[in-house]
Amino acid sequence: MIKIENLTKSYRVPNGRHYVFKDLNLELPAGKSVALIGRNGAGKSTLLRMIGGIDKPDCGRIVSQRSISWPVGLSGGFQGSLTGRENVKFVARLYASKAELKEKVAFVEEFAELGNYFDMPIKTYSSGMRSRLSFGLSMAFKFDYYLVDEVTSVGDARFKAKCQQIFEERHKDSSFLMVSHSMETLKSYCDIALYITREAKVTIYNDVQEAIDAYLVNEKIIAING
Amino acid sequence: MIRKGFHIQKSTVIALFLREIKTRFGKYRLGYCWALLEPVLHLFVLWVVFDYVMQRAMSDISFPVFLLNGLIPYFLFSNIATRSINAFEANQGLFNYRPVKPVDTVIARAVLETFIYTMVYFLLMALLLLNGEVIDKINLIELCTVGFLLVVFSFGLGLIVMVVGNAFPEMEKFLPVIIKPLYFISCIMFPLNAVPEEYWGWLLWNPLLHVVELARESLAINYQSEGASLAYLAFSTLIVLFVGLLLYRSREEAMLTS
Repeated sequence: MIKIENLTKSYRVPNGRHYVFKDLNLELPAGKSVALIGRNGAGKSTLLRMIGGIDKPDCGRIVSQRSISWPVGLSGGFQGSLTGRENVKFVARLYASKAELKEKVAFVEEFAELGNYFDMPIKTYSSGMRSRLSFGLSMAFKFDYYLVDEVTSVGDARFKAKCQQIFEERHKDSSFLMVSHSMETLKSYCDIALYITREAKVTIYNDVQEAIDAYLVNEKIIAING
Repeated sequence: MIRKGFHIQKSTVIALFLREIKTRFGKYRLGYCWALLEPVLHLFVLWVVFDYVMQRAMSDISFPVFLLNGLIPYFLFSNIATRSINAFEANQGLFNYRPVKPVDTVIARAVLETFIYTMVYFLLMALLLLNGEVIDKINLIELCTVGFLLVVFSFGLGLIVMVVGNAFPEMEKFLPVIIKPLYFISCIMFPLNAVPEEYWGWLLWNPLLHVVELARESLAINYQSEGASLAYLAFSTLIVLFVGLLLYRSREEAMLTS
């Protein structure tokens, strides 16, 4: 379970502050995958990052006893001059015990299918290779919650199928907190949904389709007919 | 998988330390050797220059030992302080991994510098001994205490400059202006006794001077520095560390807030 208490988050803008969330109180039930829906800039990613502990709220707090991943597919933490293996080792040292280190590295090496490039500096990678590495790295660790921000399509068709498969496998014991503009993806992975409106109001829906409908109507993407 | 705080921090610092070494020295042909070679070469050049220019025969301590115990503390201090400013920015991408906190990057950098200069120190001192320089006294306990205080002092200052530098980027320009002159007023090239006593009152405010003089005292019977005080060094270290930790504690959240 993730509990959000009196959370307020704002950014400084030229004329004062822009409030993304004001006094937000939420409770995400345990074991449910959550879809975050809203227009661009509504604060989906910000909320995701705050839940992940990477960004901090102005006030209020987020309480959880569960392990939460870094954003899946994140490659901002990679050091270009180090090899894929060294970068993976670094993260494995952060999240795994010494005994598991080898196993994690082996998993990513096998999963990312980079061949010799695994021992080449990351700056020589193509963007596809980079995302294969970062996706494999995220999947090497078991978390109670995975934060997924717009990554459902990585690499070629075959690799996509592989990602899909491991995603489904992880989905069995873990939950996802997911931001995506593909409504189909949200529907297939998530059990409940948060809709963040233009006015920074957050509503929780027990059915993803319901939230999507509310979003489409509210944002005037489809007109209410009859 | 939930782990405890100290355990997490320990593995984080180790991971950052190894990453730092690899990033800094991994690209060279001689690799990690450069970690030692670079300061050794630097010190060697300085030693040759000073030895030639100053030609000062010291009666109470051998000149290379004298110089080495001034230069190494200064370099250690200056490196930890200047590298700490960039520690946050250079590792910004890593704060996406929750275990990594800004303080860990400063710890990792301080540990790396300490590691390098400790090795360099003992390597060069051993070379000097082999070369026939006379060291008539070794007070290892005092030497290590002084070294330890120097590291903690530098770390405390590193924390301060990181936190302040995060709020005011001008720090990066400002810090060298403070640190470079310390080279001349920390008794690195001359003993405190060579300075007229009326100036001591000013010079002795500088904790680095105490480090240098105390280190020399612990290595030569006749080298006596009346002004240097271990108590003052310990006290100022404690204060700097305290201020550093306090500043960091109050700003950690803000540093991680976008």
